[in-house]
Amino acid sequence: MTAVRPASTPLQADVLPPPRRRSGRGERTARLLFVVPTAVYIAAYFGYPLVKNLLMSFQNYTTATFFTGEAPWVGFQNFSRAVHSNLFVPALGHTALFTAVSIVGQFIIGMALAVFFSRRFPLNKFLRGLLLLPWLLPSVASSAVWRSIFEQDNGILNRVLEGVGLIDEPIGWLTSTSWALTAVIIANVWAGIPFNATILYGGLQEISEDLYEAAALDGATGWRAFRHITLPLLRPVISVVLVLGVVYTVKTLDGILALTNGGPSNATQTIPVRAYQESFVNFSFGVGAAYNTFLILISLVFAVVYLRANRRAVDE
Amino acid sequence: MKRTTVVSLALAAVLPLSLAACSSSSDTGKDGVVVLSELDYQVDEPSSSQMKAVLDGCATQVGVKIDRQTVPGAQLIPRVLQAAQSRTLPDLVRIDNPDVQQIAATGGLAPLGDYGITGEGTAKGILDASTYKGKLYGLQPQANTLGLFYNKTLLAQAGVGVPKTWDELATSAAAVSHDDVYGFATAAALGGEGWGFLPFMWSNGGDESDLNSPQVAGALSLFKDLEDSGAMSKSVVNWTQSDVTDQFTSGKAALMVGGSWNMGRLAESGVDWGVAELPVPKAGDTSISTFGGEAWTVPVTGDKTKQAKAADMVKCLTSDESEVQQAKSSVGQVPAKTAVAQQLAQEDPSLAPFVQAVADGRARTGKIGLAWPQAATTIYAGVQSVLTGQAEPADAMAKAAGS
Amino acid sequence: MTLTATTRSRPAARRPRPRVRRTWISTVIGIVVLAVMLFPVYWLVNSSLQPFGSTLSGAVFPWHPDTTGYQRAISEQGRNLVTSLVIALLTVAVVLAAATPTAYALAQFRFRWTPAALLVVLITQMIPSIIIAGAAYTAYSGLHLLNTVPGLVLADASLGIPFAILVLYPAFTGIPKSIIEAARIDGAGLGRTFWSIVVPVSRNGIITAGLFSFLFAWGDFLFALTLTTNPSVRPVTLGIYNYLGTNVSSWSAVMATGVLASIPAIVLLLVAQKYIAAGAIGGAVK
Repeated sequence: MTAVRPASTPLQADVLPPPRRRSGRGERTARLLFVVPTAVYIAAYFGYPLVKNLLMSFQNYTTATFFTGEAPWVGFQNFSRAVHSNLFVPALGHTALFTAVSIVGQFIIGMALAVFFSRRFPLNKFLRGLLLLPWLLPSVASSAVWRSIFEQDNGILNRVLEGVGLIDEPIGWLTSTSWALTAVIIANVWAGIPFNATILYGGLQEISEDLYEAAALDGATGWRAFRHITLPLLRPVISVVLVLGVVYTVKTLDGILALTNGGPSNATQTIPVRAYQESFVNFSFGVGAAYNTFLILISLVFAVVYLRANRRAVDE
Repeated sequence: MKRTTVVSLALAAVLPLSLAACSSSSDTGKDGVVVLSELDYQVDEPSSSQMKAVLDGCATQVGVKIDRQTVPGAQLIPRVLQAAQSRTLPDLVRIDNPDVQQIAATGGLAPLGDYGITGEGTAKGILDASTYKGKLYGLQPQANTLGLFYNKTLLAQAGVGVPKTWDELATSAAAVSHDDVYGFATAAALGGEGWGFLPFMWSNGGDESDLNSPQVAGALSLFKDLEDSGAMSKSVVNWTQSDVTDQFTSGKAALMVGGSWNMGRLAESGVDWGVAELPVPKAGDTSISTFGGEAWTVPVTGDKTKQAKAADMVKCLTSDESEVQQAKSSVGQVPAKTAVAQQLAQEDPSLAPFVQAVADGRARTGKIGLAWPQAATTIYAGVQSVLTGQAEPADAMAKAAGS
Repeated sequence: MTLTATTRSRPAARRPRPRVRRTWISTVIGIVVLAVMLFPVYWLVNSSLQPFGSTLSGAVFPWHPDTTGYQRAISEQGRNLVTSLVIALLTVAVVLAAATPTAYALAQFRFRWTPAALLVVLITQMIPSIIIAGAAYTAYSGLHLLNTVPGLVLADASLGIPFAILVLYPAFTGIPKSIIEAARIDGAGLGRTFWSIVVPVSRNGIITAGLFSFLFAWGDFLFALTLTTNPSVRPVTLGIYNYLGTNVSSWSAVMATGVLASIPAIVLLLVAQKYIAAGAIGGAVK
């Protein structure tokens, strides 16, 4: 995509002399100063734990290890145990389904809200601010609320659905193996909408009104304008939202633990839940680390594949 | 104002950080009094203040000061492990009894026998939980246990009595169930909430060393039948013990498997309640229950003086007087020493059913020790699979065991 | 990742659009949509006013509000709310101080390793927080950073710095080169160019990054839990656990604290909304 310069700044750079340079060394040091503190921070807070986890996934790490420091190398044994668990494939499937549906739901609703709030109307700013409320609730409180809403016998959701005649019998949102994953997805979509809506809204604001007006003159409005102007120009922002969305959703742990703890009967087991349970319930920290390594690899593969595909698509 | 602007930006951000003080715990107080660091999970009030009072009382007797740390329950073991790794273990740690053997096996706890603590007078089951390879590593001053709480009004309305056997349970519970009121409720959510299943399993002759036995399947069938007949809500697989108590106090469950600690909450609920032993398979069978409660342990910190003082604290905390004081200031806790408990039961008859249960109680880790966490996961998953229709009682445990 | 800029223009002189009635319909739709979306928040408020904080009685509206939860929450959580606020605001400062120069440098200085750096930043987001918290505890206990505000601020910054970089990077690549070069020609150094010219131009992007950092830090529970051992420094997300005992829980206090915890934050957000209005992300990611 080519950059379109605003009309007010013509090609100044072409006619002016090149800028005076400072001494090469000083400038280079100054440039590095912009990034070095952050680089140190990232190495400390992310690099070190990442390496530690990677090593742990190849070691026999138990409660004793914390006391004695001994963690014998076991090669791929932890990975093997993880993969051969009868919960591995279900966890993988649930993680994929949970992530895919959550992202689609959050994105579509977030986009709809972003477009809606781009219009001018009274109370727009106030309502947009309120949209961020789901993010402000402590997770303990919001999960308690969702458990109450999803309650099979008395929960408000079932009462409303039965009241309007959509269902005959109460749905076991958190108690039926067929519905538990859906319930967890609903709660997760709800939590993710503010993130999507806010970022997409910001992106929409960057698109010049003039483009829409020019298109309107050609007869392209509404859905056609959205498809041919909004979406292409928004593509970069959409990429950020989708990639980060997937990366964050895949590692969701608290939300699922608080609602179902991976149950009922393992219906909401996901890779992060397995990692947590292996470490802190079964005290097999090496296996838990192996699950976490899987998780990171999954995110990484997705990100790389998506970004490559995106770049190729844009180049065409 | 060149490159220094960036540096000054960074400094400006860092400056407020350096103004805040760090906290550190001193090893000895101003007057040379030894300070022991302690860790427990009584974060909520009023139990936190009660714990502090008990600790301070013994601290004065022993001649130390206590520097107390509290974490939410699920965080205690992770915290202990992290502390072990960073060599900052507290001097006194209060561990949930099923976890004691796991920590003892790491070599991180000092055997209490080294300090002359034998646990004499304490119920056998309670000692079993904290014993590893023949040595005692922890001592509980008190224990809590499960009982069958019943709603007198609802039972009377349905014209049924308090069930003593499984058959009576099935009929009574079914008879009481109507509309949104269920006859029976017990917690079956994951995360350790479902231990109410264990007394049923044990009383039927099954146990964790052979989960595929017909006795275990029999207990599973009991739960399955209760659910199928409508006497127990399908929601139990998502209910914590707290949820079950809520159901009971709002009159939505007539019988519940509940902890002795509920008595305070029940008193203010307005429900006319009573408590009995958990039903047994056939008339005349013994009810085998389990118990909760935390044991005081002395981690191996390498500081001989402090370890000795910590052991003194344990002695004080598990002394007869302290056990009585602790039981009186809390609700539904039974002294771990049998004689003390019986004495208290005479003074306070509401404790009587629990006292017997604790005296006869069986430790969860008593039989298979370190293999318990895995077995527990299997058991609770098996119960859930039966209640959600994913497996039959006969092979539920076998299926659940593959993870 | 290569970048380009989308269009950014000053709006042409507006023609007046007198469609007042139609816009009020949008407001109504907006309110309805928000009502549906925020229903769980309403349910939280409802629960906080029910006896025992339980909705089992089935009441859809708190006809007989029971304020015991709020009484407890207000008297006990006030200090924790202030702690949360201080930590969140300091985190914003740290995140912006670190991420803004870094994002700018990656965008404008044309290092050879910029794509690799961005990938590294992206990878940091893939690491489950529980791993980071565990490692932080070990380090902090040695450095005496447990139970300190600076310690928590630095830890919470990990939630915001990579995200801020990923959000600000496209914003900075979108700055017209002419502005920067004009400043350099006038003799401004890197720092001054950055501070006096670039930052004001990217104000909206920076505010969005700051906003999300605030939200991340405000809602953080894991670091608060792992990196404190006593009540001296206790953010409200952890303070709420005071009401969740191992055996008995005070749900009405939990719910009331949940409501109270949102109020200062929502006030701040509404104020900040003003600055987000004109747009935040001025760039593209390829």
